[in-house]
Amino acid sequence: MSAANRKDASWKERLDGRMPEHLAREIDVFEGQIELKKQKKLDDKLFAETRLRRGAYGQRYDNGLRDDGTGQKPLAFPRGELTKGPDTVWDAPGMQRIKIPFGKLSAEQLEVLSDLAEEYSDAILHVTTRQDIQLHFIHIEDTPDMHRRLASVGITTREACGNSVRNVTACQFAGVCSTESFDVAPYAHATTEYFLGHPDVQDFGRKFKIAFSGCADEPCGLVTFHDLGAVALTQEIDGKIERGFRVVVGGGLGAVPVEAKVLREFCPAEELLPLSQAVARVFARLGEKNSRARARIKFLIQKLGIDEFKRLVDEERANLRPDERWNALLSDLSVTDEDPVRPAGDLPESSSPAFNAWAKTNLRPQSQAGYYVATVTLPLGDFTPKQGRALADLARTYTGDAMRLTVEQNIAFRWISGADAPAFFDKLAALGLAEPGASTITDVTACPGTDTCKLGIASSRGLAGELRKHLTVVQDQLDPAVRNLRIKASGCFNSCSQHHVADLGFLGVSRNVGGRKVPHFNVVLGGQWSENAKSYGTVVTAIPSKNVPKVVDAIAQKYAQEKHEDESFQQFFQRIGKSEIRKLLQPFSKPPSYEEDKSFYSDWGDPREYTIGDLGIGECAGEIVPFVEFGLQAAEQELHGAQDALDSGDSGAAAKAGLGAMVTAAKALVRYLDVQVRDDADDVVAQFRTHLHDTKLFHDPFAKGKFAQYLLITAANKTLDQADTEIARRTLDEAQLFLEAAHACYQRMEQQRASGGDSPSSPAGQPETP
Amino acid sequence: MTSTSPQRSEKIQIKLFADPSALPPLESFIPVFHGWIRDKKLDELLIDVADYAHVHEGPGVVLIGHEADYSIDHADGRPGLLYVRKRGLAESSAEQRLIDAIQRAQRARALLEDDPALSGIRFSNDELLIRVPDRLHATNTDECFAEYQPTVEHALQSSSLNLNALQRVGDPREPLTVRATSR
Ligand code: HEM
Ligand code: SF4
Repeated sequence: MSAANRKDASWKERLDGRMPEHLAREIDVFEGQIELKKQKKLDDKLFAETRLRRGAYGQRYDNGLRDDGTGQKPLAFPRGELTKGPDTVWDAPGMQRIKIPFGKLSAEQLEVLSDLAEEYSDAILHVTTRQDIQLHFIHIEDTPDMHRRLASVGITTREACGNSVRNVTACQFAGVCSTESFDVAPYAHATTEYFLGHPDVQDFGRKFKIAFSGCADEPCGLVTFHDLGAVALTQEIDGKIERGFRVVVGGGLGAVPVEAKVLREFCPAEELLPLSQAVARVFARLGEKNSRARARIKFLIQKLGIDEFKRLVDEERANLRPDERWNALLSDLSVTDEDPVRPAGDLPESSSPAFNAWAKTNLRPQSQAGYYVATVTLPLGDFTPKQGRALADLARTYTGDAMRLTVEQNIAFRWISGADAPAFFDKLAALGLAEPGASTITDVTACPGTDTCKLGIASSRGLAGELRKHLTVVQDQLDPAVRNLRIKASGCFNSCSQHHVADLGFLGVSRNVGGRKVPHFNVVLGGQWSENAKSYGTVVTAIPSKNVPKVVDAIAQKYAQEKHEDESFQQFFQRIGKSEIRKLLQPFSKPPSYEEDKSFYSDWGDPREYTIGDLGIGECAGEIVPFVEFGLQAAEQELHGAQDALDSGDSGAAAKAGLGAMVTAAKALVRYLDVQVRDDADDVVAQFRTHLHDTKLFHDPFAKGKFAQYLLITAANKTLDQADTEIARRTLDEAQLFLEAAHACYQRMEQQRASGGDSPSSPAGQPETP
Repeated sequence: MTSTSPQRSEKIQIKLFADPSALPPLESFIPVFHGWIRDKKLDELLIDVADYAHVHEGPGVVLIGHEADYSIDHADGRPGLLYVRKRGLAESSAEQRLIDAIQRAQRARALLEDDPALSGIRFSNDELLIRVPDRLHATNTDECFAEYQPTVEHALQSSSLNLNALQRVGDPREPLTVRATSR
C-alpha cells in the first residue's frame, strides 16, 4: 500500500503529488519553523512575520487576557509560556487569511474552503473587503495541513498578510461588463503571479495593495485608495487600438485617507509589470522602515513629491534587468476566461414578487447577450460550509467555475443564462441566500471589529447586523434614493470596511461619559463609491453605538424629504453642509446616564460592560524583519531537509539540497546589496561571485575566500545528483560552514552600515584574480 | 482507495436536538454563554462568544473554547446544542473520547435546561447526531460508518441515553455523520 493510502497517512502524505511542488516545499519549511518555534529555537518577531506572510494572523485575546465583564482575567492556555510572536500565546486562536486573487473561485476550491472551515474553524467562512476568505479561531498547529489542502486546489496563502504584496483585487464584473475597456482579469492574474514571492517585494516596510479596474467610472475596482492602481484604457496608436492602463500610486485609507496620484496617464499593457516592479523597488529601497505609521508608500510619495517619485521610478525602470516573465505572463490573455455551461437565454417575465425584487438589485446583464451576473448577498460576508458546498453545486450546474468574491462581501455568479435565473433564485432561496438588495442600504459591509480584531474599539459587526435587521424590515417604505445608499462600518480608524467611501460610514471610537466608557461611532458622510471611489467622506460627529440606527433613520428621512431631483447623497450633503447635519444628530449624541439605561454602556451583541482594556497590538503592519534574515533562516531549514535526505539514504537528493541551502543564503546576501537577482541558481551564483566573492565582502578574516569556494565549486559540479554518501556528507559539512560564514558576513555588513561606513556594496578591494 | 480510520480522530461533534417550540430567541444565549465564561461553569478553557444569528441555518451563537466549542446550531433547520470537540484526549481510546463527548454535551444541556433565562428550553432524549469532522480519518461513506459503528454502539451503551438504532446520514462530502435514535 502506498503511503498516501495508509490509515495513518498524514495530509502531507495523502496530498503528495497533488500540490504544486514549490508550494509543497514552502509549506514543509513553514511546518519546520513551527516545530523550531515550539522548541523555542526561533525568535518571536521572526516567527510572527513568518506566519503573517503565510496569512496566519493574530486574533483578539491572543495575549492571553480577556475582560469578562468584571475585569481582565487570564485565559489559562495549556502552554501559556509558549508564544507565536511578541505577546502572543501559542494556543490562542488566530485568524487565517486566504488570498483569492481578484476573488476568482472555483467550485472545487469552495468545497475545500468549506471543509477547512468545518474542521479547523468555527464553521463560518467570511468574505473580506479585499476579496479574500478568512477563517477565525484557528490553531497555529493546524495551519500547515490547511495550507496543504489549499495548495491541492491551487490556492496559496503566501503573502496574505505581512509587509508584502497583498491580494491583487479587481472588479467582479471584469470580462463581462458593458462599460469596461477590456478584461483586466488576466492582468490581475499576471501581477499576482509575478509578485508572489518575488525578491523585490520582500523588503517592504509595510503592506502593498494593488487593484485593477476595467473602466474609470464604475466603482468596482476602487483603485484610488490603493498603493498601486491600474485602470484599463485603450489608445489608438498608428491606427491600431493598443491596450494600456492609467496607473496611479500612493492611495490608501486608514486614519488619513489619501487619493492615489497619477504615475502614468497611459502605460502600455506590456509595460505594466516592469513599471510595477520599478515602483516596488523604489518603495522597498526608500520607504520608511522604522515607523510603521508612516511606512505605506503614500507617505514616501508625500515626502518626495510625485514628480521626484516619478523620476526615481523612471530611473529604476531604465536600470531593470530584463525579465522574460514580463511578457511570458501576458502571453496568454485567455487564462482567466470562463466558458459558460448553459446556453444564453432571455430573462422570462415572472409573476413572483420575490424573484422580481431580487432580480432588480441582484441581477445585472452581462455584455454577452442572454447572460447575467447574479450577486448572492451574504449577511456580513458570512456563510456556512453547507451553504458553500451547495453554492459549489450551483456553480457547476449553472455557471461553471465562474464565481467571484466581491469587496462588498458577497459572491457574484457570472454566466447565469437569463432563462435559468428563476430556477437559480429558487435554489438560492432554499439555501437562505436569496436576499435582495445587493449594493443597497441593507447590504451593510463591516470589518471584523471587536469580534475578532485586536484593534477593534467598537463592534462594527454587531452594529452592521443590527442595521441590516432594522433596514430589511423598513426597506419597502424607503425612498428609492435612500435604498441605494451604501453603509459601511469599521471597528476603528484603520478603516478596513472602507467606510471612507460609503455614503454613510461609521468608525468605532470610545468616549468617557460620567466616568464610564461608552462605545460610539463617528459618523462619516458623503464618501463617493463611484468613479473608482472618487472622494472620501467627512466626519460629522460621534454617536453612541446604540443610537446609530436612529441616526441612520434621521439622515435617510432628511435626505428623502429635502433632496433635489436626482441629487446624489454626496451633493445633498455638500449643499446642506456639515453643521446642519450635526444639528440633526445633536439629540442622539449624548447617551442616557448609566442609571437610566445601562444598555448604552455595553456594545451590540455583547452583554459585557464595555471596556477598551482588551485592545491589543495589531499585526496589520507585520514585524519588520529584514529579508536577509528570512533568507538565512530558510537556508538553515533547507539544510535540515538535506540532512534528513542523507539520513534516509538518498545521498543525491541530500547533496543537491545542501547546494540549495547555500544558494538560498547567497541570494539573501546578494539581495541585501540591492543587486537584482533572478530565482535560478545559476544567476544567484554568478551575482554572488561578482558582488560578494570578487569584492572580498564574503571573505572570512582568517579563512579568506575558502567558504565562498564551497559554493562556487559545488555549483559547478554537474553530477551532484549522483553523489555518493561521502560526497553528500562533505557537501553538507561545507554548506554548514558556508551558512555560518553567511551569517558572519551579514553581521559585518550591518556593522559597517550602522557605523556609517561606506556602503558595503562598494568594492572592498580589487577583485581577486582566479 | 484511501483507507480511513475514524477512531483516530480527536475531533468529535455531538448534536442534541432542541424542542423548537420551546426555543428562546438566539440572542438570549449570548449572555448565558458569557456567564459560563465568567463563572467558569465548565472545567474547560472557555474563551469567547461568537454571534452568527444572521447566518441562515448556521451555528447560531457559539461559545468558543480551547478544547471544545458549544453552539446553538441550526443546521438543516433543526435547532440544537452542538458540542464540538476540537482537540485533546489523544491518549484515550476512541470509545472513551466519544463517551467523554456525550457526557460533556449532556452536561452543557443540563446547564441550559436549568437556566431560568432560557425559560423552558428542552432537548430530546430520542435522537442524537455524532459527527467526525476530520476528512483525513473519516469520510461519510458506508465503509467508514461500518468501521466506526462498534465504537458508537459501545459508547452509547455506556451513556444514559437509550439510543440503539444507528444510521449514516448526509451528503458524502459532509463529515461522517451518524444518527442515533431509539429503536
Ligand atoms: C494597524 C493595523 C491595520 C491597518 C492600518 C489596517 C488597514 C486596513 C485598510 C485600510 C483596509 C481596507 C482598505 C483597503 O482595501 O486597502 C484593510 C483591510 C482589511 N483589514 Fe485591516 N488594518 C489593520 C489591521 C487589521 C487587523 C488586525 C485585522 C483583523 C484581524 C484587519 C482586518 C482587515 C480585513 C478583514 C480587511 C479586508 C482585507 C483583505 O482581505 O485583505 N485589519 N485594513
Ligand atoms: S478597522 Fe480596525 S477594528 Fe476593523 S478590522 Fe480594521 S483594524 Fe480591526
